[in-house]
Amino acid sequence: MNCNDIRPLLEARSDGELDLVRQLELEAHLRACPDCALRAQGIDARRNALRDSLPRIAAPPQFREKIRALLRAEESPSSPRATRRPPVQRALWNLGGIAASIALALLIGYNLGNARAHANSLLDEAISEHVRSLQASHLMDVASTDQHTVKPWFAGKLDFSPPVADLADTGYPLAGGRLEHIDGRPAAALIFHRRLHAINLFIWPATNGPVQEYRRGKDGYNAEGWSQGGLNFLAVSEIPAAELGQFAEAYRGRVK
Amino acid sequence: MEAFAPDEPPTFEQLMLPHLDAAYNLASWLLREPHDAEDAVQDAFLRAHGAFARFRGVDGRAWLLTIVRNVCYSRMRQNRRGPDEVVFQDEVHGSTHDPADANAVAWHEVKSELLRKGLERLQPEYREVIVLHEIEGLAYREIANVSGIPIGTVMSRLARARAKLQTEVLALAGGGATHEL
Repeated sequence: MNCNDIRPLLEARSDGELDLVRQLELEAHLRACPDCALRAQGIDARRNALRDSLPRIAAPPQFREKIRALLRAEESPSSPRATRRPPVQRALWNLGGIAASIALALLIGYNLGNARAHANSLLDEAISEHVRSLQASHLMDVASTDQHTVKPWFAGKLDFSPPVADLADTGYPLAGGRLEHIDGRPAAALIFHRRLHAINLFIWPATNGPVQEYRRGKDGYNAEGWSQGGLNFLAVSEIPAAELGQFAEAYRGRVK
Repeated sequence: MEAFAPDEPPTFEQLMLPHLDAAYNLASWLLREPHDAEDAVQDAFLRAHGAFARFRGVDGRAWLLTIVRNVCYSRMRQNRRGPDEVVFQDEVHGSTHDPADANAVAWHEVKSELLRKGLERLQPEYREVIVLHEIEGLAYREIANVSGIPIGTVMSRLARARAKLQTEVLALAGGGATHEL
């Protein structure tokens, strides 16, 4: 990276928004380049001044009481504007999250449909993260082809250790990784290249249940999901389904 | 059916009232009049309460701040007397893409009061990202959700906002306003 690559990233660095690998590259440059280092210093000083000295305007106590009283009036059953959650939703709240949808599904006998809906929403989530990652790759990607750099980077950022393997020898070189959020919890995303395309492989613990084994396409994207060793894997890419299947198979073999 | 019986779900008040200060802070910085800020926050809480059945997310703060922000902007639009409204465009309103060297200011000597005055002079869109990021501590991605802009725009808008704030701070410190400080 040269100075022109570095400078637009100095503020993101100061804000702690860079991934570790990019951060390390930047720090290496800053050690060698006094000009950029001086700029970075100024940006850090400015950031600290803004963060420490800009006043937060707190709500006056009497206003807080007013809002509280207002909300209680809204909640009271006599209020015509009272918006109560319908019974089914209250039940959902009681159980909370996935447990609720599973219990409810069992109750009504929609088990299969529900699991399918969950898989669908997972897929939507994964595809949208995949698309977003392509748009914001300059910002989010951990640019490293070295699995021994990528894997330690996740340590301390996730409550599990994602298996990181480079599949360069099978035509899917590892390009990097980043933190993601999927299925309501932090996840690892690994990025692989296939010619000019990218594959996002999402990995997260199967605490909400294992991802169904499936292969399917949606909106021009293909996805392949599986569970292995207590972890869920979901690969998303615009490459053909057969190729993505090949990738998934290679990865499963490597992780074992 | 036992599972359906136990604790009450968290109420709106329990989930949202803890974010009152964040809501009030954003509204105050956007509208700059305590009275307007109170009206906007009250309006936002009522709207949020009405829409609470649709709240599915986990981040109550971001959800509430999104509503506060929208209420504030519609109030600003209503109050604007001019015939046509200028839509904020990052490229047009932020002419300085290469921001001034941040070292031009001795930041550790800058008083809080001066920063406050400088921030008040910025356009609302710039105030907004600075308030959300520097005061409320939201990450780029959270700001993208609240402000409804792509994450790349958050990054560039924040950079411009800081550059403009720096320009204002320099003008305030060096210009005729010095005696006020």
